[in-house]
Amino acid sequence: MSIASRRRFQLAVLLGPVSAFLAVFFLGPLAIMVVTSLLAPGLYGGVEWTFYPHNFGRILGFADPMFEEFDPIYIAIFLRSVEIAALTVLATLLVCYPAAFCIARLSERWKNFCLFLITLPFFTSLIVRLFVWVLILRQTGLVNEMLLSTGLIERPLDLIYTRGAIILGMTYVFIPFMFMPVYASVEKLDWTLVRASLDLGAGPLRTFWRIILPLTAPGIAGGAVIVFIPALGNFVVPAVLGGAKVMMFGNLIEQQFLAARNWPFGAALAMMVMTVMLIMMIAHVVLSGRRSAAAALAR
Amino acid sequence: MKIARTLFTGSLLAYTGLFFAFIYIPLVVIAVYSFNANPVNMMTWTGFTTEWYAQVLGFKTKVSESALYIESTGQLLQAVWNSLVIAASTTAIATIFGTAIAIGLYRFEFVGQRFYRVVMFMPMLMPDIVLGIALLIFFVNSGIRLGLTTIIIGQCTFLISYVFIVVSARLAGMDRTLEHASADLGANEWMTFRRVVLPQLFPAIVGGALLAFIISMDDLVITYFIAGVDVTTLPMFIFSMLRRGIKPEINAIAVMMLSFSFVVASLGLYLRSRQK
Repeated sequence: MSIASRRRFQLAVLLGPVSAFLAVFFLGPLAIMVVTSLLAPGLYGGVEWTFYPHNFGRILGFADPMFEEFDPIYIAIFLRSVEIAALTVLATLLVCYPAAFCIARLSERWKNFCLFLITLPFFTSLIVRLFVWVLILRQTGLVNEMLLSTGLIERPLDLIYTRGAIILGMTYVFIPFMFMPVYASVEKLDWTLVRASLDLGAGPLRTFWRIILPLTAPGIAGGAVIVFIPALGNFVVPAVLGGAKVMMFGNLIEQQFLAARNWPFGAALAMMVMTVMLIMMIAHVVLSGRRSAAAALAR
Repeated sequence: MKIARTLFTGSLLAYTGLFFAFIYIPLVVIAVYSFNANPVNMMTWTGFTTEWYAQVLGFKTKVSESALYIESTGQLLQAVWNSLVIAASTTAIATIFGTAIAIGLYRFEFVGQRFYRVVMFMPMLMPDIVLGIALLIFFVNSGIRLGLTTIIIGQCTFLISYVFIVVSARLAGMDRTLEHASADLGANEWMTFRRVVLPQLFPAIVGGALLAFIISMDDLVITYFIAGVDVTTLPMFIFSMLRRGIKPEINAIAVMMLSFSFVVASLGLYLRSRQK
């Protein structure tokens, strides 16, 4: 065997089986989901093989006039989810950004230990971490018990099953997602530029606004994308901390699959989440590409 | 100026302290209250007990007669067993596949390599719920019965990416001169791979495998959609318990899960970051 064909054979052995696996079980399901979102729902939960764009119509405003009138509820839930996801991004950023500056200036040993402590919860059960917040926030939870026993309040506060509880829970869960990219850009920050700005007479606020923030913007953008995407489609956090009171887009999708049994409509809803994800990722790639091009030109 | 600076550094340190408190205090709270004897109000401390742990582990306890405990320890143990079987299978498959891709992309150059890399990151970025329902539609249409097999296949799609990323990071930081030296000294390709590349790579592979194992054990969303009606995993069991109402036993289960995850993940993270 020639060297070239031997190398080709090795490559095929290494990548062949796993490529086939991912093509069938990852790309395949996504393709079928796209197709399903364009099919008509059957009467008893199945799927009818006719082209039916009204699944998207039901969400966006051109519902099938035969069966239903357009209901803006789906758009409302979608927008509410976008809002909650955006607030989660903001909250994780506020929590992580200052801490990243502090940790970036520690000694190597402490730095690694802190990063370890931040990554560790990512590998513990999501449901357990949310359950803890149920114990803390509910009517007979830790916060209410403490406030009641000190006499600050007379009746327990409604902390759980609110929008705030969902945002708190998501922030708690997504901290590692925001911290890592933000930290990476904070650590790379060129402090000589900061010193130069201060020496040249810019105040601390101005230096932050004009030097530090733009230089760490790539990390913030990266963190925002990877927090926003899973937050938008999340259904576990609202199910546990939002109860039946605050419904998010993820719960709507779950309902279509496990309760309402309208799979084409559920697939169309999921396509909305995927579209947002693709738009954000493409925007991120384009913008960061432009930023690094600008940085290269500036040199 | 100096005072302002000290003040600033001090408040930054304090903030970081609060940051870690926010992450870890809830976990400490649950660990402490899992020993609370109060069966009705879990957050009012009435005394120390290990009863809930005994209960979960199936020992006879004083409160066994009351209606407070989990429906059946049998169900719980079955869920734990299912989770372990799934995690062991997915880890084996994902580790082999993920490592194969990492090595393939590292050693060879071919058309579409960049695209391949991007596709490998997709399963991790995809929102869980989208992948979950896509797999559900796919499995139901292809006539594969929902159960352990579908869970194992479904979890592998994103765990492969995970192992791939861990092993790739190690490969990228590896010293290639050793490989050249080995080749110069007359070792053939396979020998070089086995005696030089693999030993350097081994900690990363084991680290990646441990992390994949723990992610699989803890996965809820994707498993939830493709588990079918017969199979329940540990996170699903807790999720459904939470939906029915909270009982003190969940505390004990949660603390045991946390401890297990901490041990395995610490080991995995240590091996992942080890330099040699």
